[in-house]
Amino acid sequence: MHKKLLAFLAVSILTALVWAQPSGLPVDVPREELFVADQIYRYSNPGDYNLWMGGQTPHRHALMMETLWYRDQETGERLMGAAVSDPEYNDDFTTMTVHLRDNLLWSDGVPFSADDLVYTVQKINDTDGLTGSGGWKAQLNQYMDSVEKIDDTTVVFNLKESNPRFHSLFETRWNGVYMMPKHVIENIDDLATNILENPVVLGAYKPIQFDPTGYWELYERRDDWENTPAGIITGNPGPKYVMTIFYGDSAKKAIAMSRGELDVYFDADYEAFQTTLDTTPTARSWYTEFPWAYPNEVSTRQLVFNQESADGLYANKDVRWALALAINIVELQTDYIGGVAKVTPMPVPPTASLTKLYLDPMEDWLQGLQIDLGNGEMYTPYDPTIPEQIASWAEGQGYTVPGEPRDVFGTGWWKYDPEAAEKLLVNNGFSRGGDGKWLKPDGTAWKIQIISPPDENDAFRMANAAADMWSEFGIDVDLQGPERSVVDQNRWVGQFEVSTPWYSFVQASGDSWPESRGWHPQYYIPNGEDFRSKGGTNEARINDPKIGEFIDAMASVDPSSPENIQITQDFLKYFTEEMYFITTISFKKFVTWDERYWTGFPTSENPDYMPLYWFHGGKFAFQSLKPAQ
Amino acid sequence: MKLLRTFILPRIVQYLIVIFVGITLTFLIPRLSPINPVDNALGRLTAFQTMSPEATVALRESLMDLYGLNGNLLQQYFSFWKRVVAFDLGPSFTVFPTPVTKLIGSSIGWTIGLLSLSIVIAWILGLILGTLAGFFPNSWWARTMENSLIVVYPIPYYIVAFVLLMLLTYYLPIFPLVGGSKGAPGFTWSYLSSLVYYGFLPALSLIIGGVAFRFIISKALTSTERSSDYVRFAEMAALPKHKILFSYLIRNTLLPQVTDLGLSLGLIFEGALITEAVYGYPGIGSLLLSAINSADYNVIMGITLLSIFGIATASLLVDLSYPLIDPRVRYS
Repeated sequence: MHKKLLAFLAVSILTALVWAQPSGLPVDVPREELFVADQIYRYSNPGDYNLWMGGQTPHRHALMMETLWYRDQETGERLMGAAVSDPEYNDDFTTMTVHLRDNLLWSDGVPFSADDLVYTVQKINDTDGLTGSGGWKAQLNQYMDSVEKIDDTTVVFNLKESNPRFHSLFETRWNGVYMMPKHVIENIDDLATNILENPVVLGAYKPIQFDPTGYWELYERRDDWENTPAGIITGNPGPKYVMTIFYGDSAKKAIAMSRGELDVYFDADYEAFQTTLDTTPTARSWYTEFPWAYPNEVSTRQLVFNQESADGLYANKDVRWALALAINIVELQTDYIGGVAKVTPMPVPPTASLTKLYLDPMEDWLQGLQIDLGNGEMYTPYDPTIPEQIASWAEGQGYTVPGEPRDVFGTGWWKYDPEAAEKLLVNNGFSRGGDGKWLKPDGTAWKIQIISPPDENDAFRMANAAADMWSEFGIDVDLQGPERSVVDQNRWVGQFEVSTPWYSFVQASGDSWPESRGWHPQYYIPNGEDFRSKGGTNEARINDPKIGEFIDAMASVDPSSPENIQITQDFLKYFTEEMYFITTISFKKFVTWDERYWTGFPTSENPDYMPLYWFHGGKFAFQSLKPAQ
Repeated sequence: MKLLRTFILPRIVQYLIVIFVGITLTFLIPRLSPINPVDNALGRLTAFQTMSPEATVALRESLMDLYGLNGNLLQQYFSFWKRVVAFDLGPSFTVFPTPVTKLIGSSIGWTIGLLSLSIVIAWILGLILGTLAGFFPNSWWARTMENSLIVVYPIPYYIVAFVLLMLLTYYLPIFPLVGGSKGAPGFTWSYLSSLVYYGFLPALSLIIGGVAFRFIISKALTSTERSSDYVRFAEMAALPKHKILFSYLIRNTLLPQVTDLGLSLGLIFEGALITEAVYGYPGIGSLLLSAINSADYNVIMGITLLSIFGIATASLLVDLSYPLIDPRVRYS
């Protein structure tokens, strides 16, 4: 009897333990005051808020940290952070003057001032072991001679040499130099080992609780949010609490959103997004309807040739063009990508601002571009009707196209013309074997090896499309999809023929030099060694002096000048004509959010800020939120 | 004394050799991987930040120095041994300079808690149910259990785990989707009960498979033992069934089961990667996976060392406990 009673008690206690727990979020704050954002990965250093030291910055820097300027990736506009005006250079770009806001407060109530900026720069410059700031330290050492406070809101940087782009260290794409609270940090013995568990922040949110295993963090809005840059710019308090939480794969994020335990997530694949729409009626992405996804992150996807692989086969411009003409971009964009990304023939994403600067002014040139198929036969490869063809497909699927096809689906692209591709190859000594498969000029079978990381959804789908289309064209294709780290390592040392990295040759501001300088031939590294050994970004092993001339020309001019844009256009024309790599689509992101509890997130109807909430500049998306009821 | 010389000492020497070889391999294997931690860190730091080429080169040199990767393989090997002897596993490269011991320390408790409980519960349940089913093979409940568990056993674990996840977090949203607990750690009812709540589903998934496996083994062993002479004689002597079962039969089926339990407990230190991934449960498995992907040599070596010690020590303890369990070893 006693045994039965004990067993009954044990089962009862266990049941009570389990059922006493409500399903839901791991924090006890009112749901209507809480915005729950997808933490894009699980933190391995929970409670470590020393972002100068470590590298785990997503969301944390948006909520807590400030820099001088934010470059919004959606609008291309500069937003003032801790600075109150644009950077001021002298005539020869050897000094940069910064004027700071006079109404910012640290979260402990101490005013932000020029002392903080000067201290930040000097501290980063002088401290070893701040790995999270390693890039800034190296560049400050390279470019800056000294920094001095003029008054409480004015700081002057004296540069070692003329540099019209020095401010970019303090202007975000992903992030910018994080301001340090001098009055706190100067009392810390070794910043390189201190985790700053209770940080004093300049951003609008302060961390108040975290999961020791790294799955979530809880932030509380500061009472004095109106004394933070995001508060001043948006004029909106934002949610009282923000929690970031890592759920894992897309399926679990979709489940969490359906349970009302996630308000925004990044980045679902197409199928998971459709599941979310089915299971969460209040969910949406950038567009309320097709093509849903946010299409304007400033990066493009391409098939990049290793010019020194396969005995230099891909160093032949005609081979690269032939492979471009063997790709059916409409099929790639629709069947493989679901019609939800923008097409572009150049490494320039067709965002509204960059289209005006580059793609629109270059449209006539693209339409008039001709290539030689051999024997003097000139050929016009560009097809400006691609957006209309995609729009027709979309209408055939029952979708409504929300605007002009060129605005929604991007620009024209190269014609799908296997016959022209065949001519190019035949004229270069290629032939078809008895089985119809292509043979290289030396008579051996042509096999292309593509590497692409499967976890990078669009890149891998693009690689699959290329593999299928080139196979159909008669080339053997070996598509490999190992772990991303293995793909990267192979890319770095040149163990590939075709890879699928992301680039953009222009920033949201329209400036190209910071993105393209790594392709200067002075940083060229031959195949077999890490292409970054001299600091370059040239994984294609292009060794072309003419590219160096364009990059040198950009370096010498004011980045905001029309002259810089003109040089960049000429550079892009040259690069495109050479077909150094095949750019296909720009980035799209299924930043998916649920309007059940919060509204005001950036959308196509409300495109004031980028919806990339995990970026440093994502703070404006958080700050713009308003309760749904 | 003879037992010490012929039985215990050789096993201890073998244990030390296993550990030495294991540690050496642990040092070498990550370095044979195509992934390089400095390249990886550089890739992370430059993925979004445009950095001048000169700054990139300077950063690489600085990282090599910070990570202690300067010097040849032999020099690194000796400095590695120095650290192992001093129980210093160095810093993690991914979250530099967080010590590896801290990362492992914050994960290992979850893994030990989840796996040891699941393994022991599954072992006890499987053993009891399997033995009973083997002893009463013709009863309806034994047949029902056998038929059910034989169906469950061959289903791959990840499918069982995913089905349970969908069933109990989506269709019946009873259990949480991720994490090991709610709120801040502390000796409060709320926190302690949340440990059970958050661990219930992952544990259930492990117990289901574990019980099925143990049930089948125990039933087979019991069926074999049941036809032994000593059981028949006991039955002929009209000993009570519970005495035959618990005093004779189970003791004889227990030996291989204890060995298996010991080795299973040793494997705890490898973690339960699929469980952790499916249920978003913290533990050593996901730490190891992310370390492998980012070539975080020190973390990989730390976890592998733990695993080597765990498995080798469990094997040694099982070996050394044989004389206690089995008098035949003691007397031979």
